[in-house]
Amino acid sequence: MENFAVGKPTPLLDGQAKVSGQTRYVGDLKMRGMLHARLVVSVYAHANVKRIDTSEALAVSGVHSVITAADLPYVTPSSRNKLMLARDRVLFVGHPIAVVLAETEAAAADAAEKVHIDYEPLAAVVTMDEAMAEDAPIIWPTGVPSGAGDEGAHGADVGGDEKGTDKKTHSNIADVAQSSRGDVEKALAEADLILEHTYTTPMVHQSSIETQGVMAQPDSITGGVTMWVSTQTPFGIRNDVAGVIGVPESDVRVHAAPVGGAFGAKFGLYEPLVALLAKAVGRTVRLILTRNEELLTTNPAPPMRVDAKIGLKTDGTLTAIDIHVTLDSGIYPSGLGSFSAYMMTSFYPVSNYRTIATNVVTNKQSDGAYRAPTAPTVIFVLDTLLDEAAEKLGINPLELKMKNCAKPGDLLANDKPWPKMGMQETIEQVKAHPLWQKRNNGKAKGHGIGMAVGGWMGGIEPGAAVCKLNRDGILQVQTGSADLTGVHTVFGQLAAEAFGIAPDKVRVVYSDTDSAPYAGGVGGSKTLYTMGSAVVRAAQEARKQVLEIAAEEFEAAVDDLEIVDGKVQVKGVPEKTIELGAIASKAMTFGGKYPPIHANGRQAITAQSPGFAAQIAEVAVDEETGEVRVVNLVIIQDVGKAINPLIVEGQIQGGAVQGIGWALYEQMHYDESGQLLSGSWMDYTVPDAVQAAPLETILIEIPSDAGPFGAKGVGEPPVIPTAAAIANAIADATGARLTDLPMTAPRVLQALTDKSS
Amino acid sequence: MWPKEFDYVRASSVDDAIQQTSDNTDAKILAGGHSLLPAMKLRLSEPGKLVDISRLADLKGISANGTLSIGAMSTHAEIAASADVQQYCASLATACGMVGDHQVRNFGTLGGNIAHADPASDPPTVLVAAGATIHIKRSRGERSVSAEDFFIDLFTTDLEDGEVITRIEVPNLSGHKAAYVKMPHPASRYAIVGVAVILEMDGDTCKSARVAVGGATVSAMRASGAESALSGSSLDDAALNAAASAVQSDISDALMGDVSYPESYRQAMSGVYLKRAVKAALG
Ligand SMILES: Cc1cc2nc3c(=O)[nH]c(=O)nc-3n(C[C@H](O)[C@H](O)[C@H](O)COP(=O)(O)OP(=O)(O)OC[C@H]3O[C@@H](n4cnc5c(N)ncnc54)[C@H](O)[C@@H]3O)c2cc1C
Repeated sequence: MENFAVGKPTPLLDGQAKVSGQTRYVGDLKMRGMLHARLVVSVYAHANVKRIDTSEALAVSGVHSVITAADLPYVTPSSRNKLMLARDRVLFVGHPIAVVLAETEAAAADAAEKVHIDYEPLAAVVTMDEAMAEDAPIIWPTGVPSGAGDEGAHGADVGGDEKGTDKKTHSNIADVAQSSRGDVEKALAEADLILEHTYTTPMVHQSSIETQGVMAQPDSITGGVTMWVSTQTPFGIRNDVAGVIGVPESDVRVHAAPVGGAFGAKFGLYEPLVALLAKAVGRTVRLILTRNEELLTTNPAPPMRVDAKIGLKTDGTLTAIDIHVTLDSGIYPSGLGSFSAYMMTSFYPVSNYRTIATNVVTNKQSDGAYRAPTAPTVIFVLDTLLDEAAEKLGINPLELKMKNCAKPGDLLANDKPWPKMGMQETIEQVKAHPLWQKRNNGKAKGHGIGMAVGGWMGGIEPGAAVCKLNRDGILQVQTGSADLTGVHTVFGQLAAEAFGIAPDKVRVVYSDTDSAPYAGGVGGSKTLYTMGSAVVRAAQEARKQVLEIAAEEFEAAVDDLEIVDGKVQVKGVPEKTIELGAIASKAMTFGGKYPPIHANGRQAITAQSPGFAAQIAEVAVDEETGEVRVVNLVIIQDVGKAINPLIVEGQIQGGAVQGIGWALYEQMHYDESGQLLSGSWMDYTVPDAVQAAPLETILIEIPSDAGPFGAKGVGEPPVIPTAAAIANAIADATGARLTDLPMTAPRVLQALTDKSS
Repeated sequence: MWPKEFDYVRASSVDDAIQQTSDNTDAKILAGGHSLLPAMKLRLSEPGKLVDISRLADLKGISANGTLSIGAMSTHAEIAASADVQQYCASLATACGMVGDHQVRNFGTLGGNIAHADPASDPPTVLVAAGATIHIKRSRGERSVSAEDFFIDLFTTDLEDGEVITRIEVPNLSGHKAAYVKMPHPASRYAIVGVAVILEMDGDTCKSARVAVGGATVSAMRASGAESALSGSSLDDAALNAAASAVQSDISDALMGDVSYPESYRQAMSGVYLKRAVKAALG
């Protein structure tokens, strides 16, 4: 039977409310007696805090209190509890030291300026090289805190060979993970072509339009809190907060408020602190970060350096990868370095590899997940290396990548086989595309065309959903997944299809952590894949319950019944029908004999379904200024099954534009003393309509085995290959190969000058 | 972001505005608010009182009578769309049309723009090249100053407390070939470098040239070396190359840069954009 809801372009359920300003974000919520929190943050990258003088701040009218670490219980520093108030020592510019609580935002802001702090500045380590230097000041003299899991939180399969991990003590090196296969030295010695470069990619900020927002209301009886949070992971927040405030998680209730963008940045940050503040003062407390704070003191993507060496045979066979990743995770380690090394040696399976991943801590804000954590860097390195190798070997770069790319059954870095996936198929689509064919024939002057391909392993996490049938014939779907990226809209389509009801007869409701069944965080390209399956199962179960009631009413067999136009009927006998609402009513009435329709669907899918995207970029390079304009960007992505092509295309386009940001513009700059220089959107370039290119999205559908209707994750892949595709296009246009992101106009100009001299 | 608490009054006349800002040095003129309010929200500026001049009819309107007279409260959008400006000094219309985005152009004013004197602004560069005159009113009467002398340094002008810019006067340049070109910062769209040229042509020969640079420098400034390189030439490649190197030395003492677009890059770009400006002027 043809699908009637799945595969249909369906506008976002919450679209109208969002564009008409009806959506109420955390910043729009007000509670009686609510206090506004304003952070007082460190102006030094590393300093002892000698004295905090709050007297002048307390005198500001409307100020309730000024809280410092001394007023709060001690919390062991860890990567998950990263943003507590500094105790005696500040570790980065932006490190919160005190919080002003006031009746109005304005009073809080006035008073925050009047908290006077005596610092004793200490030597700071700002760059990864400073951190690793012989006589570097040590950030964590008693050992680098552990307990990261950002990559886990993001649903990534860390994989890799963990046995080689070496935790350093009394050092700014948090850990060094090594992994290998075959004999790299020998393979390099026998290679016909060796390429070796050092690549850098900067700290990049997720920069969603809505900043971090948290509101907590204390419960003086249980000691717990109720929270409204702009988050990807309400259940994750519940767990983190309960751990920090020291109550069972059942005493913490988290409402995921509508989210105005997250991209990995909203996996838990200020929630434990705000919960502690609310408990400390016994009043509701709300913290909404300013844009400046958002840039200064959250959790952006880490700066990385990759020393890479590859070996190939003249026929283009890749024989060796030798990689050293150094990742600067800010004050807390994240473990993303070894994850990136794992990807580096999985996408292009090779008989001989060696990876070293060094995670370094520095006096900067801590890193976190940003859409496909580290993957844009990984593909920038790998794909541009292969592109250059192809050029040197006189092979078409597409053919060389096709030859070496991972195919199902090939070995991942951890020696497990790649599951079903479509890396090769996306490359084949590039080959057939007219823009790619224009590369050797018919390009405008100064233009270049490049392609790149990258993917994401696909996240997994158990989760459940509920379906109920109301007396008005509406099927209600209930989950605890925060609504990002349109997942609720898609849940509605899936439920409609699985139940057999028009999509407009489905209502999807978000429920908080007390009332919803468990759902994993929305991130890592896993929500539709996993939670979608739970919704399908719940809807199928609800259908079964409905048909059982109808069967009894009709004295017919369940198998002889069908649902048509909101009614149950005996197959082929349209005269004999019963409205869905009537069935629900029979089960929701005094003296009724049927149990209400209430169906659960659960899943714990363990198979990952990797998703791949290939991109073709056409760029125009201004050789006088170094400016690069993306003239065309084609994204070809294997999405398994596009349940909602509108949303899928939107996701892909958004990811690709973020990829343009990685490629050409975005970089968080710090000066030698650790001051953030790009602390506003006047300096930090988030690409917008002017920088975005005309985008063409082409969906290919290689169904996954486990996802609903064959769907797989689509969120991460589109951001991954863009920087590489643009770099390859710049090389095609100018012959210059850039190894540092972003490829800003001054850098491109420098590369052109270097090449011609 | 919340500014410090402040008082707000609407000025009843230009003299009233002058009086209110002379009596109280903590008071500031409010025009379109598109530079002042962001600065207040960031607490870079903390005036105790705002004196709103935005409704004063005396400060509005554009007229062309031998010279072009632009009321200080004219918005960028009004200037960009004005037929008089197009006729007398089309490159000023170009520059105002390049400012920010629609909201900024609909609210931001020429008077506010030049009083604020952001070094990366667009209109000042054209005003300096055009030889514009800034008319200022104060309690002791009126005075005027050339655009070239008005812009002194980063966010610093010749304007004193208690003074109000009333209008900006631009000579009639309709017989000249002129252009303003800029490299916009990708984040803010302010000028990384902006170059204005005004060429007086005699057939294929450039009789005289006026050149100004902004964005790359601490304030909009004349580039006299570039002017001499162009003047008397036929604007051929050799002349353009000479002018492009001259402009780079003209601005070498006044360079300004940031971490993404350092001084050296902006300096080099001033040469590139000078050539582009001349080409654009010649059409
Ligand atoms: C998002 C954004 C992008 C922008 N992009 C650009 C750009 O690309 N190029 C560019 O050139 N500019 C740009 N601007 C700046 C814009 O041009 C100025 O904000 C605007 O012109 C200032 O005028 P205003 O009327 O808003 O002045 P206000 O903000 O009201 O005032 C600015 C200052 O001038 C003083 N002042 C105002 N009028 C007078 C007067 N008549 N006499 C004496 N003092 C006065 C005020 O006291 C204040 O100190 C941008 C601004 C924004 C917000």
